[in-house]
Amino acid sequence: MLFEALPEISEKELEHFFQIMLTKYGEDFRGYAPASLKRRLGTVLKRYGLPNMQTLNQRLLTQPEYYERFISEITVSTTELFRDPSAWVALKNQLVPLFASFPQVHIWHVGCSTGEEVLSVAILLQEMGLYDRTQIYATDIDRSALEQAQKATYPLRHRELYEKNLKAVLPNVPFSKYAWEEQGNLVFSPSLLRGVRFLRHNVVTESTFGKFEIILCRNLLIYLTPSLQDQVVTKLIRALQAGGIFMIGTKESLFWCQAAQQLIPLNEVERIYQKKP
Amino acid sequence: MPYKENVAIVLCLHRLRNIRMNMAEAIGKVQRWHILEPDDKTLITGGKVYIAPADYHLLVEREGYFSLSVDEPVNFSRPSIDVLLESIVQARWARAGAALLSGANCDGALGMLKMHQAGYFTAVQLPTDAEIPTMPEAALALFKPTCQFSANELVQVCLRALSLYT
Repeated sequence: MLFEALPEISEKELEHFFQIMLTKYGEDFRGYAPASLKRRLGTVLKRYGLPNMQTLNQRLLTQPEYYERFISEITVSTTELFRDPSAWVALKNQLVPLFASFPQVHIWHVGCSTGEEVLSVAILLQEMGLYDRTQIYATDIDRSALEQAQKATYPLRHRELYEKNLKAVLPNVPFSKYAWEEQGNLVFSPSLLRGVRFLRHNVVTESTFGKFEIILCRNLLIYLTPSLQDQVVTKLIRALQAGGIFMIGTKESLFWCQAAQQLIPLNEVERIYQKKP
Repeated sequence: MPYKENVAIVLCLHRLRNIRMNMAEAIGKVQRWHILEPDDKTLITGGKVYIAPADYHLLVEREGYFSLSVDEPVNFSRPSIDVLLESIVQARWARAGAALLSGANCDGALGMLKMHQAGYFTAVQLPTDAEIPTMPEAALALFKPTCQFSANELVQVCLRALSLYT
């Protein structure tokens, strides 16, 4: 029988971890929701066969080369093409009415991870005839996830799910138009990324860059405490053009965020909002 | 289960992904209990039955709200019962209890063990009474819970857990 027992992590060890991350690497983990952060740290310890948190702290302190790998482990990369299809249908229905007359549309995909949802946006824009007027900035804290995103290559086992999701969002678009099998992988058309710039960026600690007509930030806020959610959302809404679209995960909420008063819901169930003009 | 305005019930069921919401809607309102799928960072309040949303882990935080996560499935399950129960232990809530029912894998066993070790009330369905005994059997292989029960005794078991805290 398989049991996934995770090592316990004390408050003191966690405090020490926060200090190392902040002072040595400039990353602030203090605002991460404790329950899932502790669980993820426990998973990292188990994966590397480290006996306790103290050992991990020591490693982070003395081996900077370990840091990128650690960030990659600690960030959650769960994503898929058109995850929550009904949310993407709702976005699709808003795109043309809102942006058809725009000469240029700037999109910021915050926490893009391995890029499946960047491809989702790209496919939507392509099918709506908006792609060539669009510039997409896709950012994440995890460099290795960004590298994978740039390759637009995924394990073949995802094919069935992605194909099903695409069909739910764009029933008339054949999957083979945008993705195919290549050397045992699922490869997406490189042309989908022609208007995408991938950047390493930490939305918690770094400032924003420019103004956007659309900001997508799905299933990143869930890892933050309410007060840090408030800070990040405030920052993102400031970077959103008046009338622009803000889309979060379908189980994420803005009820801790003061700045959300500047938003009106376009689709409350799918968590798609518009910044008041 | 009689309505209790100062009690929250959290249900973690293994179910299919991509079928959203319908569980809470299907159950609707039972007595005065308000049944819902919590969003991330929903404050946990009494008189409510919270159902873990499909395809997310549900965790509780010490400050009294839920967090959701899309971390990898645990025991092939998301939501995972272990993840929920371990978060209760980590949050060191003063008053909590857990009952584990029928299920097809060992998810929940380890979480129940941790609840038990932390001194919480634990109840496990009798394997002979369970539709699929794998889950209660896995828990019973690890520890001896506060009590074992058959499904028609679940309400009494819950009331017994509550009586410990009043």
